Amino acid sequence: MMRNAVNGLERLLEVEIPRCSLLLVTGAEGTLKSGMVFAMISNHLAANDEHGLYITLEQSKESHLRNMSSLGIKKRDELHVFDYRDMRREWADRELDMIKVIDEVIDFYKDKYGNLTVFALDSLNALYSISEEAHLRKEMYDFFSSLRDKELTSFLILEAPPRMVPGSFHDYHRPEHFLADGTIELGMIEGKGVVKRYIQILKMRETRHAMEKHQVTIDENGINILGPIY
Amino acid sequence: MKSLANTHDLNESEEDSCKKFVDRIIKTNREIFILYSLLDKQMCGYDLIKEIFFKCNVFLSQGTVYPILYTLEEEGILRAEYSKGDMRSKKYSLTSKGREIAQKDMKEFIKAMEQISALIQR
Repeated sequence: MMRNAVNGLERLLEVEIPRCSLLLVTGAEGTLKSGMVFAMISNHLAANDEHGLYITLEQSKESHLRNMSSLGIKKRDELHVFDYRDMRREWADRELDMIKVIDEVIDFYKDKYGNLTVFALDSLNALYSISEEAHLRKEMYDFFSSLRDKELTSFLILEAPPRMVPGSFHDYHRPEHFLADGTIELGMIEGKGVVKRYIQILKMRETRHAMEKHQVTIDENGINILGPIY
Repeated sequence: MKSLANTHDLNESEEDSCKKFVDRIIKTNREIFILYSLLDKQMCGYDLIKEIFFKCNVFLSQGTVYPILYTLEEEGILRAEYSKGDMRSKKYSLTSKGREIAQKDMKEFIKAMEQISALIQR
């Protein structure tokens, strides 16, 4: 299950994340958001007879997989990666309803594999940048609801600009944060000439969890979560 | 791909009704129509959607066509390559395995449609 999907994640979660939860994974660039989500899903699928879908709106599939491989994160056959690059190039002169496209892509993989239980979108920022703004808030509500209706545990990656990162809770009073069941923040702290990566669970409905920032490291076997950073 | 048969002998309401069933049949069997379209030429997702729309008056949305292309490529049924001098579109063609599968699937699909047609005709 997710709690054991990354080495040391059980330090933060006392119990399992409920299935069909909708989780925001937020942080500045370079804080391992994509890697953490990819590792969690990949390792979860390795332990369960299930399928997952990772939609990348920013990077190509090849570039994303090279990046994951460089972090020591292996892709499972059951984890399907869909990139938006070809569609974007070929339909450059048309405005696509990306929420509808994502919905259809999920339905396709769900129909094809039956037990598609985990979904990730990388990233919400990219989705916002290519979507019409007029009804975005309402559309996001419907999008979040549709992910729950499809009974998917969903990870939505949201890059937060550095000014939002320091951790003050009022930075997180955006609609996505209210709508999500959980918010996981990834960040970097500099001190004594050393920069350390951390993970912090800001919110996780129905789940007892630690509040402290925990150190994140990477080695040849992938991502590890160590003890509290202070 | 041939165009849909002439429907001049149908009145407007019959034509609408016919369109509804054609739409449904193509959408639920879109993989076969994609493979059929690729029998004679290389195409990208955009070309395929356009071709099926012009020939059948059915719009297969992007979110349904591209995942099919990607999975058929992973399964070794399609081969994808960027055309020379045009890195914007990835052109798909059938592999020899894909051609065999396409021909077999189409034969079975036509047979199934004929059986259904014979079954419900009075």
